Amino acid sequence: MESLVEFLIQGVVLGGLYALFAVGLTLIFGVLNVINVAHGEFFAVGGYVLFAAVVLLHVPAPLGVAGAGVGAFLLGLAVYPLLIAPLNRRLGRRPAGSLYLVLTLGLSTFMQSSLLAIGGGDYRQVPPLVRGILEIGPTGVSYQRVLVLGVATLLLGALFAFLRWHRQGLAVRAVSQNPEAAQAMGIHLARIFSLTLALGVGLAGVGGALMAPLFNVYPAVGFPLTIKAFAITILGGMGNLAGALLASLMIGVAESLVVIVVPSQWQNGVAFLVMIAVLLFRPQGLLGRRAAR
Amino acid sequence: MLEVAEVRSGYGRLEILQGVSLSVAPGAIVGVIGPNGAGKSTLLKTIFGYLAPFSGGITLDGESLVGLRPDQVLRRGAGFVAQAGGLFAEMTVHDNLLLGGYGLPSRREAAAAVDAAYERFPRLRERRRQQAGSLSGGEQRALALARALVMRPRLLLLDEPSAALAPRFIDEVYEAIRALNRSGLALLIVEQNVEMILGVAHRVFVLDLGQNAFDGEPAELRGTDRIRRLYLGESRRDIQVE
Repeated sequence: MESLVEFLIQGVVLGGLYALFAVGLTLIFGVLNVINVAHGEFFAVGGYVLFAAVVLLHVPAPLGVAGAGVGAFLLGLAVYPLLIAPLNRRLGRRPAGSLYLVLTLGLSTFMQSSLLAIGGGDYRQVPPLVRGILEIGPTGVSYQRVLVLGVATLLLGALFAFLRWHRQGLAVRAVSQNPEAAQAMGIHLARIFSLTLALGVGLAGVGGALMAPLFNVYPAVGFPLTIKAFAITILGGMGNLAGALLASLMIGVAESLVVIVVPSQWQNGVAFLVMIAVLLFRPQGLLGRRAAR
Repeated sequence: MLEVAEVRSGYGRLEILQGVSLSVAPGAIVGVIGPNGAGKSTLLKTIFGYLAPFSGGITLDGESLVGLRPDQVLRRGAGFVAQAGGLFAEMTVHDNLLLGGYGLPSRREAAAAVDAAYERFPRLRERRRQQAGSLSGGEQRALALARALVMRPRLLLLDEPSAALAPRFIDEVYEAIRALNRSGLALLIVEQNVEMILGVAHRVFVLDLGQNAFDGEPAELRGTDRIRRLYLGESRRDIQVE
């Protein structure tokens, strides 16, 4: 029983991290129709920024985490005008998703190489931002994990509030539903695309910083997470933010609990098994709508 | 106020408009009719900046609109209502109206403009928390018009306001169009419903195969057999021009 509660708590924490990552990826897909293969590299950037801030520069950890988010956000601002907009212009239209996939795969590889060149290939260790164990009944969870869950909850709450009530958030939702009509409202599409990309990868950057003390930091640290986030995005329903949130928690908890009944080597496969099942039986995902014929 | 001169435009290398010219006087309703594929919607999209013209000039009150994006055209005083309204179906009526005021400089101005829209279309106030996609066809068109008015345009471009509407809703939409025009708004309306547009327009342009085929008052068009045949076609007698 104790271990069940413990695994459940670990699963919720893991789900919170997945949500921070996958909601950003889903937001980008929903608005730009871009599957951002480079999403994990912004997660890695977040980890490296925190490492540089806390370990090398001895900056207070909260500032390091904020810097990771801001750094990833600023890098994200450049992706639309430097990569996606020129491709669209060259083709005279928004291309099929597969071209974006190749484009962001290129960005992913380039960013990994850059991180390797700048930060080296070593695994970088970052000390916990907070120390100690929070005791919950018979079990406990590290404050670092509680921090991850708390910050993820705060940031995702802020993102949903922004999309619901802020003028620019309304514009983001409008563009995701009907870009042409959004232009007739006076919305500058390129600005909203840039903002959305920056917000999405900014969340990944914060995620990377928060997780850095739990995992080591290295150039390809985010790539497996990207692949898992694809599974989460499909499970939740492509482009559906609430679906991504729900699916993140489900996968986090499922991965955590599955080790009780099967060997831990299966743990990483769970998300993809669920993804395959969803594709076969409910291709629109948990909260997605069936595509119109 | 709006001058379109010898405009050539289209999609990619496909030229749809082949030297179209028209004008809209301040406070006038101008109708554009013609068979499917004549380039009517392409004309509106070119004026509003969705499409860049290959050549020709477009000016609004003497200021060139060529090369401007839709958001820039909007800020120069022209609004656009897409075919079927172009609503954000999964957002509430109120959010749709708020988005109509996206280009206004302050929240307070946007709120006041949205209030004015509710005054003009009281039924929308009752539906303010409802998703736009759940409104009736007539209410959706009313919302699309109300939303376009939030920015207080001097000229409104309407793409087939009666498309896919039941007759009673078409009457409602055209009554709203007349009321807007009485308040001084100029309208350029692309329409398939010939009877309705001839009933409200001060001037009518007929497009055929991307070229001007007629330019005059509705009464002149009603008496022009050649034009009727040209754009209705011999086999399309189901659409009557009295």
